[in-house]
Amino acid sequence: MKLVLTQFKIELLRIFRNPYYVFWSLAMPIVFYFIFTRVISTGATDAVAWNKHYLMSMTSFSVMGSAIMTLGIRLVQERSQGWSTFMRITPLPGAIFFLGKMFGQMIMHLSSIICIFLAGYLISGVTMPVHLWIYCGLWILIASLPFLAVGTLVGCMKRVDTASGVSNALYLVMAILGGMWMPIDILPKLMQAIGKWLPSYRFGNGAWELVQGNPPKWEDILVLAGYFIVFMLISLYTRRRQEAI
Amino acid sequence: MSTVIELNHVKKSFKNRIAVNDVSFQIESGSVTAILGPNGAGKTTTLSMMLGLLEPNQGSVKLFGRSPKERYVRERIGVMLQHVSIMDRLKVKEILELTRNYYPHPMDMEFLIYLTGLTPKDLNRYTEKLSGGQKRSLGFAMALAGDPDVLFFDEPTVGLDTMARRRFWETVHKLASQGKTILFTTHYLQEADDIADRIILFNQGSIVADGTPADIKSRILHSSLSFLSDQDGPELRRKLASLSPITNCYDKDGRIYVATDDTDLALAAIFGAGLPVHDIRIHSGSLDEVFEQLTINQEEIAQ
Repeated sequence: MKLVLTQFKIELLRIFRNPYYVFWSLAMPIVFYFIFTRVISTGATDAVAWNKHYLMSMTSFSVMGSAIMTLGIRLVQERSQGWSTFMRITPLPGAIFFLGKMFGQMIMHLSSIICIFLAGYLISGVTMPVHLWIYCGLWILIASLPFLAVGTLVGCMKRVDTASGVSNALYLVMAILGGMWMPIDILPKLMQAIGKWLPSYRFGNGAWELVQGNPPKWEDILVLAGYFIVFMLISLYTRRRQEAI
Repeated sequence: MSTVIELNHVKKSFKNRIAVNDVSFQIESGSVTAILGPNGAGKTTTLSMMLGLLEPNQGSVKLFGRSPKERYVRERIGVMLQHVSIMDRLKVKEILELTRNYYPHPMDMEFLIYLTGLTPKDLNRYTEKLSGGQKRSLGFAMALAGDPDVLFFDEPTVGLDTMARRRFWETVHKLASQGKTILFTTHYLQEADDIADRIILFNQGSIVADGTPADIKSRILHSSLSFLSDQDGPELRRKLASLSPITNCYDKDGRIYVATDDTDLALAAIFGAGLPVHDIRIHSGSLDEVFEQLTINQEEIAQ
């Protein structure tokens, strides 16, 4: 147990000492939020609803980013620099090492959620009943699992450059097609049809439904669970193959 | 003395290249062993298999009679790899504490800090800010964090300055005298000769010699005599070759060379036969030559 706790503590220290974390996961979504709710007039008929909707978009955008990019690139870095090799020689079971990573990632997501929600309140005066805030936060936290699986898959790549290129592209495409930057309704019909099958859209949609007072749809949960299982399996398989040298 | 490491007919190939071919040896507890060989001889591959980082294609590797991947084994070994890499965004003290935490009976923190040779100020710095040499010292301390019974060092002194190198070997001596088993790879002959009580010489993925440094020298080393002669010719060469202590006769640098196992006997034989030679010099072989000789011979055989 002490082993697990120390590993958790170390992962947390490392994440919060990383200056890029603050920029990519917090500064960018918050600036976007400011621009699209305060600076540019989006022509939304119901400003209050739009402010809530877009707050969920930006929070899920932020969490999706750290799940795919931060986790993925870190994993590649640790392997390419030989740190993972050293860990394999220590008695620390691989499962605890992995658990530590996931825990650090979860805490990171949680703090992003709290910061961005707070920014939404401060910037555009978004208010909701407490239980809705909590539901939205929990949804974003738990539904980020498929993206963590994508992150571990990115983490199987050999070079940091490849991993960062691929994850960046994946991230942006999923964000745009998933309706995180702008509502999916204004995209062309074909892109909408594709977007609705993406985990990013389903991720955001759960939270968008919640702020309107509805529970997330079954489709949201099923599509996300499906992606989670598929990415987890591919990532496990890839890891097995890489280690069986 | 008990066997702590045992390799049995281990073979490892990557794609089409055979990196390690039919290697077998046993390491006794408390010994200091050098795996010596030129670059690409298969030293690191062999080490990686001993650490359970690579799977042999054939044969078996056992530490303490078990698979190197078992936690029992991991708790009793300490390793410093060739490319020391240390988790970033942690302070030196934090990483030492973390590493100690992985082992059931960790080494005293004070001693580990002493091993790093770092000042209190450096101990509070982030690991990525350390110099290459400092990182290696930290890597050494991390290898010892679990107070291991068996220590593995892969090319431990590459990139260390003279002072750090001396410090390193002094500590290794101390550890050896405490009964720890030490195994290191190196391509520096001098280090293997000075430090190890056993040298396993690798070339092209196979063991070409295995024994104490003195053993290897006496078994393989040929001393030689060289001299000049005013009456050089087939006659003299024939007489030289007929003398029993002399195994071989050749020319080098304008002098006549004869190889022998015993220079005293060879000299006595030459004078006893009254051969017309002068300006005699005695050459005792160095380990460097053995190394060269062995590895070159192997290459010739391979071709």
